[in-house]
Parts: sequence; C-alpha cells; structure tokens
Amino acid sequence: MRAAPETEKRQFEDEVLESLWELFEKGGKSVSSVGAGAEETVSLEELSSSLGNAQALGLDGMHKDGLIEIIPGGRVKFTEAGRLRARDITRRHRLAERLFADILALNEYEEDACRFEHAISPEVEEAICTFLGHPPTCPHNRPIPRGNCCKLYTKKVTPLVASLADSQVGEDYKVVFLRTPMIDRLASIGLVAGSTIRLVQKKPSYVVKVDETTIAVEEEVAKGVFVKKHES
Amino acid sequence: MQAEDQEMTSGGKGPLKAKAGGKTQPAQGSSAAQPLSRLALVGNPNVGKSVIFGLLTGKYATVSNYPGTTVEVTQSNMTLGGKRYLVVDTPGVNNLLPMSEDERVTRDILLEQRPDITVQVGDAKNLRRTLSITIQLAEMGLPAVLALNMEDEAMDSGITIDKEALSRALEIQVVGTVAPQRKGLKELSAAISNGGAVPAFNVNYGKAEEYIGKVASYLPPANISGRSIALMVLSGDKSLAAWLKANLDEKAIEDIEALRDECELRLGTQAGLYINETRLKKAGEIVAAVFSKVPQRENAIIAFLSKATIHPVWGFPFLLVVLAALYEFVGVLGAGVFVNFLEHVIFGQYLNPMFTKVFELIPVPFLAELFVGRYGIITMAFTYSIAIVLPITTTFFIAFSILEDSGYLPRLAIMTNKFFNMMGLSGKAVLPMVLGLGCGTMAVMTTRILEGKRDRLIAIFLLSLAIPCSAQLGVILGMLGSLSMMAMAIWLLCVLGVLLLGGWLAARILPGKRSEFFLEIPPIRKPSLQNVALKTANRAVWYLKEAVPLFILGTLVLFTLDKLNMLTLIERAASPLIVGLLGLPPKATEAFIIGFLRRDYGAAGLFDMSRHGLLTHVQALVSIVTITLFLPCLASFFIIIKEKGIRVALSILAIITPFALIFGGFLNWALRHFNVAV
Repeated sequence: MRAAPETEKRQFEDEVLESLWELFEKGGKSVSSVGAGAEETVSLEELSSSLGNAQALGLDGMHKDGLIEIIPGGRVKFTEAGRLRARDITRRHRLAERLFADILALNEYEEDACRFEHAISPEVEEAICTFLGHPPTCPHNRPIPRGNCCKLYTKKVTPLVASLADSQVGEDYKVVFLRTPMIDRLASIGLVAGSTIRLVQKKPSYVVKVDETTIAVEEEVAKGVFVKKHES
Repeated sequence: MQAEDQEMTSGGKGPLKAKAGGKTQPAQGSSAAQPLSRLALVGNPNVGKSVIFGLLTGKYATVSNYPGTTVEVTQSNMTLGGKRYLVVDTPGVNNLLPMSEDERVTRDILLEQRPDITVQVGDAKNLRRTLSITIQLAEMGLPAVLALNMEDEAMDSGITIDKEALSRALEIQVVGTVAPQRKGLKELSAAISNGGAVPAFNVNYGKAEEYIGKVASYLPPANISGRSIALMVLSGDKSLAAWLKANLDEKAIEDIEALRDECELRLGTQAGLYINETRLKKAGEIVAAVFSKVPQRENAIIAFLSKATIHPVWGFPFLLVVLAALYEFVGVLGAGVFVNFLEHVIFGQYLNPMFTKVFELIPVPFLAELFVGRYGIITMAFTYSIAIVLPITTTFFIAFSILEDSGYLPRLAIMTNKFFNMMGLSGKAVLPMVLGLGCGTMAVMTTRILEGKRDRLIAIFLLSLAIPCSAQLGVILGMLGSLSMMAMAIWLLCVLGVLLLGGWLAARILPGKRSEFFLEIPPIRKPSLQNVALKTANRAVWYLKEAVPLFILGTLVLFTLDKLNMLTLIERAASPLIVGLLGLPPKATEAFIIGFLRRDYGAAGLFDMSRHGLLTHVQALVSIVTITLFLPCLASFFIIIKEKGIRVALSILAIITPFALIFGGFLNWALRHFNVAV
C-alpha cells in the first residue's frame, strides 16, 4: 500500500533533516548547537550521497517550506524550524533503536527504527524515553537529543522500568513484566507481574526475595525480570 | 541417603496410563477385610511433609532443610480411629504442572492413584503459594485437609493467620502445626479422621473458561476432574502428550491444539501464565483477608549467617572454614582417633585375638582361616567395615546432617553456580554433588531435582567419575592425613581438575543447552539435635545393612581366589597395569578387585596397606587418586541402570575405568618424573 502523498512528503523531509543532522553532528558539536551556527553548512553533493537518492526537486520544496536554506554555491543549512524538527526526528529514531536493542533484544532493527520514528506521537515518544530511563545515547553511542521529559530532572535520572540486573541491591521493587524462559518457574513460586520483590544481592548469583520465599537465579534470568521502584 | 525398602517410584511411565479411563481403585490387590484408605501428603517443597509423615506413621523419612530432600515416594501404614490408611509422602511441588522429574512423581500419584484424602502441608509464612496448590487440589476434586506448618517461624516473623476465617473461606479443615514439636498433631489426626472435603475454591478464569469447557469435552474419563486436566492441557503440560495420544484420535488432538491457540489469542498471553496468575490473584485475595504481618527484627545470629554464607567476598572464606571444620571432625577425629581406638584397641587387642583363640579351639583349620585368617570375615570384612569405615561414615553423617538441616547446602549453589556452569551444569547441581559425598546411590536419585535430561546425565556421569562417597572420602582423608599438605593439594587438584574436565567435555559432546539456574533458598535454621541424631542413626544402620554384606562378599571372593591360588595369578596378570602403569605393589591389586564391589572397601584396603608401611608416599597418592576416580560402587551402578538404563550405565563404566587407570598412570609418571616430594 502506498502512503498518502502528504505522509510521503513528510517522511522524505524527515529523512533529509535527519541526514543533515548527522552530517552536522560529525563536526563534534554538542547536541544543543548541532547545525545552529550561520557557518554550519554542507555541500549538496555531501547531502545527496548520504541520502542515497536525493531529489533536488524535493530539496527545493523544503527550501520553500522554510525547513532548509539552499545558499548559492550549492550548500545547504538548517533554518531554525528545520533544525528543531531534525532534532526531534533524530531523537525519536535513536530512542526507537534503544527500545529495540535493549528491551526487545533485537539484532536487526535499523529499518524498523526508521519506520518507527515517523509513526509515533510526542506522547508515545515521552513515554518510551521515560520507560527507558531517559537514555543519553543510542546503541551506536551517538547522543540522543534531550526532550522535555528529560529536562524535568536535574539529578541523574533512573529508569522508570529497568531489568533486575540494572537495579539496586537492598531495594524493594514491583515486577512490571518478565521476559525469560524461566517465566513459569518464577510464576510457580509467586513471582509474577505485580509481585513485590527485594533484590538481596547480585554476586556471585542473584538472590531475590518474594514474600517469605528466597530464590537464587543467574544473571541471564535477572536480565529478563523488569521492575520499577516500589512506592510504599 | 537411604534406600528404604518400602520406597517405590512411579518411574517414566505416562501419567494416568495405569488407570486411564478407569474408576478409583482401592490401592493394592490385597483383599484385606478392611479397605486401606490412601492418604497423600502434598505441598510446596521444604514445608515439612516428611516430618509430618514421620509423626503420622512412626516411620522415619529423611528430613532436611532444603527443597528436594524427598525425591521418591515413601509410604507406610497408619491406623487412626480404627481406620487403616496408606500414607504416601510425596516430593514437594510448586505447581501441579510438573517441571522436573520429582514434581512429576507427585502429580502422577494424584492422577493415577487418586488419594481418598490429601493432607496439604503448607508453610504458614508463605500462604499465597500454599493456597495456589490448594486451588489446584480443589480443581482436581480431591478432598483435602490443610496443615499450616511452621507456625512458630511465622509467629517469629510477626505473621498471624486467621485460621477460622481461612477454614470458612475454603470450606476445609485448617490446622496449625509445628511439626518438630508435635504441636497440632492431635488436631491434625482428628481432622483426618473427620475426613477431608473438596476445597470450595472456585476460580473463574474469565475469557479462558469457554476453552476449558471445550477442551474438557474432548477428554476421556480419568481419575480426576476433566476441568483440572483441561487446565493442564491449556497450560501446555507436555508430560500429558503421551496420555492424550493413547486415549484420543489424531483429529481430537488437533482440535485441542487449535483450541489452545485460539485461547491464547483471546487472552493475548500464554495460557499457562494467565492461569497461574489468575490462581495467584485469587489466592492473594484470600491472603489479604486472613493474613497480617507486623515486621519483626530478625534473630541477630540467623541474620548474620544468612548474609555471610552467601556474601560475594566472605562467602568463600566461610566455605573454607566449613571445609576445615569438616576435615577436623571427619578426617582427624573420625578417621584418626575413633578408627585408631576401634581398630587397634577394640579389634586389635580384644576382638580379633579373642576370636582367633576361639577358632583355634575348633579343629578345622579351614574355618579358622575363613573367619580369622588373612582374608577372614572377622579379621578383614568386619575390621574394615566396622572398625575403619563405620566411624568415618558416622562422623561424616553427623557433620553432614548438621549442614543439611542448617540450610547451608542450597546456599553453596549461589556461591558455586559459575563453577558448575563451566561443567555444563547450573548451581542447582551442587545439591546432588554434595549429597554424593554422602552416598552416590542417593545422589544419583537426587539428580531428579535437575530440570533438563542433559543436566541429569552430566551430573550422574560426574558423580560416578569423581565424587568419592563419605566412606571412601573419610578413608582417603585419613590416608592423606598421614602424608603431607602437598599430597592433599595434589589429590584435591586432580579430583577437581578431572571433575571440571569431565564436565567440560561432556557439556561439549552432549547436544542441547544446560538449564538456567533457579533454586529456592530455605531459611537458615538451627539444626535440631533430635533430627540429626535420628538421621545419623538411620544412615548408619542403612550403611551397615548395605555395606557389610558386600564387604563379606568381597572378602569371600579374595578368600576363594587365595585358596585356589588364583590371587597370585590375577596379581601377575594385572601386573602390567598395577605395577607397570601405576607403580604399585602387586598386593594393591586386591584393593582394586574389592573396589569393584565398593570403592570404600577398596580404599580401606589401601588405607590398611599404607598404615602397615606397604606403600611409599607416591604409591599411596597414586593409588588413592586412582581409586577415587575408579568405578562407581555396585549399588550406585544399579541405581544408574534404574534411572538411566543399562546402555548409559555401561557407557559410563566404559569411559571411567580406562580413564581412571590412565590418569593414575599419568600421575605416577608425573610425580616420579618431576620428583615431587609428597
């Protein structure tokens, strides 16, 4: 099924903006100033080669729409509006990568991340970011531009939901979901989504207390138990 | 650690097979005037079923503080209020959906034998888990009485349970007990006499209900309710596959499969998980109504031990302290002081000279030789078994019982999981392995608590290869004590090295993956003197019953061979191996011959030779390493056949025997070549 012309246009713009963002990023600027200065330009050839099949027509359209500025001499720069949208789309893309790589444990996710970035609303984006604990970088270690949800925190943020392997010893947690082949075993002793558990220790094996039951599991299992802080 | 005569297994048969489609049958074909009611003790692991079994029947079933002590079914008779019962003690289960062999044993008992009354034993501290089993008994339609055990511990943790309210909610009798103190026993007996009732526990599975009904309509009649079997089927219980195949046509099985898919689609999750969560939720509702907890401060010593035993740093020195204490107690006190006293004083100065005199009075020299000669039943079989091995095993059993009852053994699994991973096993395998230090026979049975078939096979192989049993270990420790620290270190290194190598190779050769580590850790408890004494006595008696006849048999074999002048022949024939390869004196051949019957007997022979200066230090070390790795004893060989079949047993034998000899030869060469001072 072909996408509606309007959607297709938006997706094309997003791709261009994202590529531009990545090109500017190579300059080693901090996230807040990527593509911001007047001197930040790239040549049209550079942009075309990074896009693969850039259409000059489309770029003209974006120029008219005020997303980018094509300056004489065959160079391109962001407008402020274009820069902000590039920032958002990059953020969504990289959050998607984090979600796919960390939570869903996928190895091949790049294409899906590309489609995902266009599909989610700002609310979903914030929810994912919060769920992941406002991660600072994508799986390839490139910075994820901060969103509004991240800025609400001044201290180091902790994930809303994290695996037991990333949790603190001695704390109580509420189990959110389980993703391990051990799920039946865990359920049989009463450890299911919604149970309150305490992480007793992590080494040399994980020790977890559920009600009055203590169990030992290995790290592989602990990685599949996702919990959030228990609010008493 | 004992192979009770009345034990029986419901081995690898398919569930329900025996009575598929049949009606409830009173147990056993005996046409006694009074019918025997079947009473099954069921419940979560480590809640005290075996203690209650002992109280009801007066028969001791091994009691320890770790889940999985009971891996076989023990049964015994009891008379209560003029009525006769056959009481069956079952392995603990967390779910009547079996996930390992021992859990399956219990489920199959409920299915195949349909008890007339079940006594569910539960941990009062863990009411939610207890009730999730009660729900399943209710669904099966089994009449039950609930014993909430360990009330004392619950009270110490500040837990109160409104038993009357619980009894009203479940519509069954609920009795609070503290089994080791016999508290609540009278009430429990009365409850049993009154007869159980099917718990009124109606769980509504919501969207799954429709499918439960549909699946149940396909099922053939069985001993328990169709609804409960339908729930098992929907939960994906693979162990039911054989039974379904035997009783239903292909079309019906396909329909059931389709219903299961459809159900999961409707639920949006795995049906097994959904059913389990629904049960726990329902159990949770009742818990909320009858259970209250006021957090208490833990006992300081218990709290300290709970932490120190599994501490990432201090846990290891703690283990060393435990091992050192074990060595002092068994190796020094048992194998040294007690053996010296029994062998030199009791047997050496009194019994043997006395019997020698008695037999000298009998004018038949053959008899004298048979009983008090070089290979005499008294001077060899009894001296070895009672003077050398018994004190060692008894001290070991005492130490071991204390460890078992303290709850330390499962904690070892936490510390050693990584080590076991290298051998293709999970830390849970530490339980059968450590039990193997007690007795290999029981340890082979305990491998049932391991989840995967592959794990079981590796564990059994390693048990046969490199885990010396208590008797053998004690004798070995005694011998090592007279050598040097260096010898001790080399022996330990060899055994651990072989264990690691054997496991590593087996894990690579056998297909499949090891099961992931999951083990319930019981609380640290103060061992009860009474249980330690009872368990030790039981095990010592078992040892005498099991070992002494074999010791006598071994002695008779040597005696006969000697009389027929064949011993020298065999010694000469085995000389390339014993003298050439291992560098031992020809007489050591005897130890290996009787080692075929029992490794500890073989070790005792070496011990004796070493004490009489017939072995150099290098020879002593080579011989004990070889005998440690040598064949499993006859009893464990039979158990391996029973558990895994003759093919596996023979394969293990065929690998181990040459390996032990070659390894011994290699060690002999290495020690001499590098001139190691031991």
